[in-house]
Amino acid sequence: MEINWPKVIEVFGSGILGVFLVMFLLQILTQLSTKIIDYIENGNKGGDLPPKSQTKEKS
Amino acid sequence: MLDILKELIYSSGAVSLTAGNLVMWLVAFVLLYLAIKKQYEPLLLLPISFGILIVNLPLTFLMEPEHGLIWFFYHYGIEFDIIPPLIFLGLGAMIDFGPLIANPKTLLLGAGAQAGLYVTFFAAVLFGFDLQEAGSIAIIGGADGPTTIFLTSKLAPHLLGATAVSAYAYMALVPIIQPPMMTLLTTEHERKIVMTKLRPVSRLQKICFPVVTGMTIMLVVPSAAPLISMLMLGNLFKESGVVARLTNAASNELMNIVTIFLGLSIGATMTASTFLNPKVLFIFFLGLFAFVISTAAGLIMAKFMNLFLKDKINPLIGAAGVSAVPMAARCVHKVGSEANRRNYLLMYAMGPNVAGVIGTVVAAAILLKNLG
Repeated sequence: MEINWPKVIEVFGSGILGVFLVMFLLQILTQLSTKIIDYIENGNKGGDLPPKSQTKEKS
Repeated sequence: MLDILKELIYSSGAVSLTAGNLVMWLVAFVLLYLAIKKQYEPLLLLPISFGILIVNLPLTFLMEPEHGLIWFFYHYGIEFDIIPPLIFLGLGAMIDFGPLIANPKTLLLGAGAQAGLYVTFFAAVLFGFDLQEAGSIAIIGGADGPTTIFLTSKLAPHLLGATAVSAYAYMALVPIIQPPMMTLLTTEHERKIVMTKLRPVSRLQKICFPVVTGMTIMLVVPSAAPLISMLMLGNLFKESGVVARLTNAASNELMNIVTIFLGLSIGATMTASTFLNPKVLFIFFLGLFAFVISTAAGLIMAKFMNLFLKDKINPLIGAAGVSAVPMAARCVHKVGSEANRRNYLLMYAMGPNVAGVIGTVVAAAILLKNLG
């Protein structure tokens, strides 16, 4: 059986490159989305803190 | 009376037995022994071995197209791509992506381990397999049973039994295959590296991950949709925390039911005529090769990443990039704690381990796109 080397090389190259590109893209998106969520959640926590004057009154 | 007796004997399966059937019984008994006595992946090896046994009983016609009982399980479950995605639904409901979200760099380790898969593709072609067969054999290196079954059923259905058994057998043998590679490719100093503490991951981040990841993968590689959509749906069930019944159903009842049909169907594809073939021996050899090379590729990827990272990672966690969850991560932890008793690598290794599941699906989808 004759081997279709151009196809083998295409599958090999596009496979390795494709997996790395997709996983790299996922890494960037995961980092980005977690940073955005961290920012939102930290912002919310900041917003929930009682104003300084009230805190002083309670103490 | 004698005629009735003669007719009974001639209509029985016993007279149609072939030497091939007897050899397949032996294979079935060996697998039964490994499943029951050694407890190697018993949930799958047990139904697989029983499937092999009953399909090699002559005249039962269990795999007769349009008539046999197990043929219906196989046809509608595997040929129609129902069972592997359902397994992924259950898997998603069990997986915790937290360690991966806490350390997204480990996604690259999941990609690194897939390099071994393509090396095996190359080797399989050199061994004389056609391109579709080579793709089905290469995916064994991903150490992911459902993905192996999904891809093989599309590219080379005649190899389904051999590739599935090979994938599950090597997954069970992770604690034997991986440690020598780990010690060979890492130094004592590297194995002792203690990694920095993982950042906490919020519930919202865990909920967003399956949505963002699922959408991204399906947009870039649409042929991954059947597996990745179910994986991410199962995970969304779990992380949302509002559908406990669905999470339980996916990870317990549904998973158990489809596992029975999957094992039985795979075993039933292994008739003497399809399995007793020199090619099958090569498949087992190449499967092992794929697994070893994938482990090595993960380790080398981790060492390569360390060249650029300020906070070094323990390169052992690269070996968990093959997706045998959670055996590969446990194996990494064991080898790491042998080098440094204070080193607790399990959670760090779970990141590349679940990244390996995603990576194998992406690699399978790319192979399917190129060869299907």
